[in-house]
Amino acid sequence: MDDNLELPTSALNPAAAKEREEEEEQSSGDEDQGPDWTKIPGLNVARPVIPKRGEKDFEPIAQGGSGLQRHVLDRSRSAMIEALRASRTISYKAVSHATWYPQLSRAHVTVARGIHFSTMGHSAARPSPDAENVKKVQKRLELLPEEALYLVERGAMYCWKPTDVPLPKTELLDDMEGVPMTVQQAFAEMIGTEDLTLEKYQVYAYLKRLGYVVTRAKPPSPDYPVPSPLTTQSGSTTSILSRLYSAVSSLMARLARIFSSGMDWWHPVRCSRWLHRNLSNSSLFKSLRFLPSGHNVPLHIKSRDPEAPPSPYRIFYHLYKPSTPFKKTAPPPPDFSVVVVNARTSPMPTISELTELFGELPELPPPAPRKRVSFAQQKLNAASAAATPAPAPQSPPPETSLARRAIAWLWLPWWTAKKSEPPARPPNPFPSLKMGNKIVVIAAVDAGTISFFRFGQGVFTEWPMA
Amino acid sequence: MSLIAPSRGGKGSQKSGARRAENNRIYAHPLPLVFLPPTFDSAYSPARLLSLVGLSAARVENPHCEGVFDPATRSVWVTNERDSTILWRRGFFGKGDLSRSEPSWLARQINARKAAGKYMTSEEIREKRRAERRQFKLDRAAAIARAAAEAEAAFAEGREAAPVAIPSGATWKPPSSGDSALPAMPPPEDEDSESEGEIEEEQPLENVEHLQLTLQEAWFLLWNLDCLTVLDPHTNKPMTLSQIWHTFLTAHPIPPLLRADAEQRFDNPFLVHYAAYHHYRALGWVVKGGIKFCVDYLLYKRGPVFHHAEFAVVVIPVYEDPEDQASSPFTLSNADTFSWTWLSTVNRVNSQVQKTLILTYVTIPARSRVSPDLLSSPACLAHFSVREVVLRRFIPARMRD
Repeated sequence: MDDNLELPTSALNPAAAKEREEEEEQSSGDEDQGPDWTKIPGLNVARPVIPKRGEKDFEPIAQGGSGLQRHVLDRSRSAMIEALRASRTISYKAVSHATWYPQLSRAHVTVARGIHFSTMGHSAARPSPDAENVKKVQKRLELLPEEALYLVERGAMYCWKPTDVPLPKTELLDDMEGVPMTVQQAFAEMIGTEDLTLEKYQVYAYLKRLGYVVTRAKPPSPDYPVPSPLTTQSGSTTSILSRLYSAVSSLMARLARIFSSGMDWWHPVRCSRWLHRNLSNSSLFKSLRFLPSGHNVPLHIKSRDPEAPPSPYRIFYHLYKPSTPFKKTAPPPPDFSVVVVNARTSPMPTISELTELFGELPELPPPAPRKRVSFAQQKLNAASAAATPAPAPQSPPPETSLARRAIAWLWLPWWTAKKSEPPARPPNPFPSLKMGNKIVVIAAVDAGTISFFRFGQGVFTEWPMA
Repeated sequence: MSLIAPSRGGKGSQKSGARRAENNRIYAHPLPLVFLPPTFDSAYSPARLLSLVGLSAARVENPHCEGVFDPATRSVWVTNERDSTILWRRGFFGKGDLSRSEPSWLARQINARKAAGKYMTSEEIREKRRAERRQFKLDRAAAIARAAAEAEAAFAEGREAAPVAIPSGATWKPPSSGDSALPAMPPPEDEDSESEGEIEEEQPLENVEHLQLTLQEAWFLLWNLDCLTVLDPHTNKPMTLSQIWHTFLTAHPIPPLLRADAEQRFDNPFLVHYAAYHHYRALGWVVKGGIKFCVDYLLYKRGPVFHHAEFAVVVIPVYEDPEDQASSPFTLSNADTFSWTWLSTVNRVNSQVQKTLILTYVTIPARSRVSPDLLSSPACLAHFSVREVVLRRFIPARMRD
């Protein structure tokens, strides 16, 4: 209803711009704008700089363009042309070299330079003829197509392709075999190999540019290192507890089923007539929870048509935050698991597909409670932290607190008799409810625009409000 | 979010504390049933004896509300003022048909007549806020246009543009009421009341508003809590549970030829939505309609007067057997998978208002698995299952540490 009152803004408004910035901080819409080319140096600097986003200078007005607008537009346009005209260069000493083997879908890194290879590439054993033409299995550094393409596109690596055509010797590059590949050629040849689609490459490149470590979830070859399977993770004391809990809960469910078979379905809750122990609102709410819910209830959905094309919802990438210590040969469990789909051809996942994805994922601990610290306290802390080295964090890790809680629960009567501690405040359910206990990230790529969504397995049943 | 900062003084915070205490008192009961502590008439009363054994003999006060089924609106009308107040205050059931949520029409009318804006209902506050916001946008647009004209003129003359003050949410102040600079746009409800009021000033106001319960709400109240009696619209006699069950199952408009089929179908919209509604109500959430935010339900902790809704629920029916969907007389919304566009739309709308989107999947039992005969009683609800998936945007640029 207010739309007709929003006149197009025809001049830059610093106050409004600042406000908009703040709003964007909230709504996170800041990834969708184009670069402000006037801020890009262009030719006068040897290395082009990745542009920062700018403000929209004006919107079209009803009377049509004006002298000022045309001037600003022309300035922006010429700045863009200048910036794009700059040739992208790299120092001869910093460039890596690789040879692309189409039949292997791998690029063999012959000269590795720079920091990229601490998180990219894997070593693969390949038989290679040595000087005496004896086949010997040798380990060598190989890149998956997305890794090779990313480095080529970035201008960090020179890619070659073996050829049978005899080549004239050139200086500097005389130790290279084959012909150099252009970026276009690399795109044309590498996309489509080893399950790499254009969408998957776009997601890969976007995440890499943000500093993430991105690896394949399913090893494309036995040489490819992947994190150890999930079973080893849950081998601690909690698993016994959780197994005990699940055994008890399944027993309870069975009892409930027996009870429900004899239940009067016209009067499911009979608190008004029965005498209950501790008749109260919370017992009433508890007795209302008699309908099946939660992700442990079996899904009776008919299985997919075996002739139908396989589901596109497969975990494709593992994602590690830049801060996560990453070892290439023994990758840790990933921070996120990413599915990549084409938004034009794949609709949203069905519940069966989501359940399947959740089945492959580890259960996450509830998010650590955020400590409420007043602003004054924060300032004080910052000041003291600057003065002295920061003390170890006070909050215990979630496992110990869980174990402690379990102990407290087991020995509750004895415990409380021995010493009466003030009861701990119940944890805030909202962070858990908003996160879920399993998370899969789905990247829906619509013609180059990537939307990332986080699907969490809901835990509402585990966190009742009453 | 809000461009107009509400003018809060020291007085306001005190007031809000008092208001919170008042709300805690008024809305103390989460459900219409109230548990009263046992009264011990004598030392040897049975209640006393039971409490010694560890059983509580708390008395349950059942308000026994009454409503009339209205087939045209597929709702149950509670016209009795006592009942509608109880249902609203104890669990926020229903909605006033002339109000945004709480049936406050009468209070608004009385305010409009007597207090003349001294006390404002939430609807009146909203109207005032909207008018102010409109004025702010007009002012801002005018200032921006002035700035543009100035920049243009300065460019033409080749000089530096003079700065023009553009009001922002922080600097703009609503014109004081004495100026009456606000465009006179009284809310439509007030318009007729004022004109009427002048003519029939003497007549006492009659409350023409009723509380409207959705079928899910009504069934929850009468089936689980036994605190609602539904009257037949034709005979005005109380309906039996079984009659209500069949009435609610056939309430959704489908071609008359298929009406018999409606009672043989597990994908009846009433059942699917009831399963979701009951799930969240039983977990202690206050569940209200969410059409404003493109969703089916909004979940409030304790209730709308205490907090904003934290979660927005989209009910997604899932057929266990796709053939049931193909042969169904119903077209359930969201039964077909969302497109990514629609998902983004819904999620954008809800993250804008700080709500987390919940996809609530309700499985519909296959007719080949569960006998349709079960539909003659609520026992069929045991074969539905509810599970939820939390959806949020994942912003890699913000998740790096």
